[in-house]
Amino acid sequence: MLHSLVSRWKGVALTLVSVVAVLWLAATGQLGLYINPDHAGFAVTMTVVGGILALASLALAPVRDDHDHDHDHDHDHGGADATGAATPRRRVAATASAIVVVAGATVALLVLPPATLTARTAIDRDVEVTAAELAVDARSLAGADPSTFDLSDWALIANQFDDPAEFAGIELELAGFVSPVPGDPDDSFYITRFKITHCAIDAQPVGVPVHLPGWRDRFAVDDWVVGTGGLVADPADQDGLALLPGTVAATEEPEQPYVY
Amino acid sequence: MTSPTTTTRRRARTGARPPRRPLGTIGLAIGLAAVALFAGIRILTPEDRGDALSDAVQDFVTLSASVVIESLPFVFLGIVLSIAVQLWLPPDFLMRRLPANGFLRRAVISLLGILLPVCECGNVPLARGLLQRGLTVGESMTFLLAAPILNPVTIITTYQAFGWQDGILVWRIVGGFVIANLVGWVFSRHPDPTSLLTPAFQAACAREHADASATPRRGARMFVEETSAMLPALFVGSAIAGFIQVAVSRDILITLGQNPVLSVFALMLLAFVVALCSNVDAFFVLAFGSTFMPGAIVAFLVFGPMVDVKMLALMRTTFTTRTLVQLTAIVALASAALGLAVNLAA
Repeated sequence: MLHSLVSRWKGVALTLVSVVAVLWLAATGQLGLYINPDHAGFAVTMTVVGGILALASLALAPVRDDHDHDHDHDHDHGGADATGAATPRRRVAATASAIVVVAGATVALLVLPPATLTARTAIDRDVEVTAAELAVDARSLAGADPSTFDLSDWALIANQFDDPAEFAGIELELAGFVSPVPGDPDDSFYITRFKITHCAIDAQPVGVPVHLPGWRDRFAVDDWVVGTGGLVADPADQDGLALLPGTVAATEEPEQPYVY
Repeated sequence: MTSPTTTTRRRARTGARPPRRPLGTIGLAIGLAAVALFAGIRILTPEDRGDALSDAVQDFVTLSASVVIESLPFVFLGIVLSIAVQLWLPPDFLMRRLPANGFLRRAVISLLGILLPVCECGNVPLARGLLQRGLTVGESMTFLLAAPILNPVTIITTYQAFGWQDGILVWRIVGGFVIANLVGWVFSRHPDPTSLLTPAFQAACAREHADASATPRRGARMFVEETSAMLPALFVGSAIAGFIQVAVSRDILITLGQNPVLSVFALMLLAFVVALCSNVDAFFVLAFGSTFMPGAIVAFLVFGPMVDVKMLALMRTTFTTRTLVQLTAIVALASAALGLAVNLAA
């Protein structure tokens, strides 16, 4: 009884769990924590379609899945069920694993609060690598209006330009979370954000190094901060620029923690 | 209450299937109650996360959830298209229009991705639908492997990321086409292609052919069956992808990237574990552009859309493990050969 219920309706159950989760994220403006907001329209549309189909299926689909019992009688498609009709032990295992998947999905999508990626992933994915590789874009920033730059643009500039004179007199205000600079972990940290192309799994950390000896006394890794100041030659690095902060203050994680 | 088994036996003896009555309003009520329950759980659980979870566990959940949320709309789209194909595409429609010659047929099938804009996770349910509509096992594999690469979105994003640099775009397209057709050809020579399919999927096909219910009811049954096959696989595949992201350090792979031979294998391994969608992987690998050699990037861009942890979990719903091991081996060897050749030429 439980076996046929679970094996038949696990897909509809997972559909409804996901539909509620996605629509709630969209309604509370948090879908951007997982996917690029450019795709939110498509995601919400297909989710609504999925939800409607799931409810319609509950109303229209036959109550019972009779293939569980088909092996009791001969029919044209004999061989198909020879291995499909599982032994009792396999049925128990299949039922148990399906319940685990549905429960896991419920916990991950509905019980745990939505979250941003932590600095741990930023460190693993290496801010330096991202900045160096997206460098092509940085060149086109020369001469553009600096007031339109976001953290990702400044991160590329800090990595790609060596002469602070090009940016003299520009006062930056950058918000992001703190992650340590690998080469100079005690005197510098990155003001970091994740850049999302498609979804959080392709998140690439971008960061502007901030030279602030003793920062660990004031902030912990993963704290959100706002730093203001100008760009100077990076004291820790031979090439590249760093933010020489006028002020660095703690702040709340913004609604939109990622850049896209 | 009569046990279902007894009922079925009696039914078998009399030879007639009693009409299977749908749940109707009761089903709808159960569904709405479930929605209310899930919404209640979501709204009543505390918003602040506290420090209950370590960063690693937290990121594992976030990454896995993001793969699910990103892929799910495409899976739904794939299921909708698959149901539409099964309900409304005349059985011989494809057969009549595709060339009779096997090689030409598969070549045309590998271009279907241009017309059916579904990303690779959505292609699995669609391929299942096409299999039910007369495509052979080998042909369905050709479609499944070629469509994520030979589709306009992937080609455009790859062009945006790399332009004509090092022939990466050209080799991706050519490699994807050739490998998909190679795999299709190899499996088309199998003496008993049905044995390549999982018993559960064979049973689903058998049921579909036996079902004479009205269209809406058949559609509903297909939705129930497709989601039961696809979604657990998607959740498990996403969890594996999220886990590997957290567990395997990127440093190791990047260190391997400098060597002309090892870089090819390192990036293929990366493609396998990161499980990205084919329309975004070009931007992702761009971030490794100067670390890795062009052949490695080609191997990444050809191998990744065809085989990765999430795709294997999804394809396992339809093909047997043994088949998938063989398929993975062929695709991996061919992608590696292509990558090494590009590196040699570079």
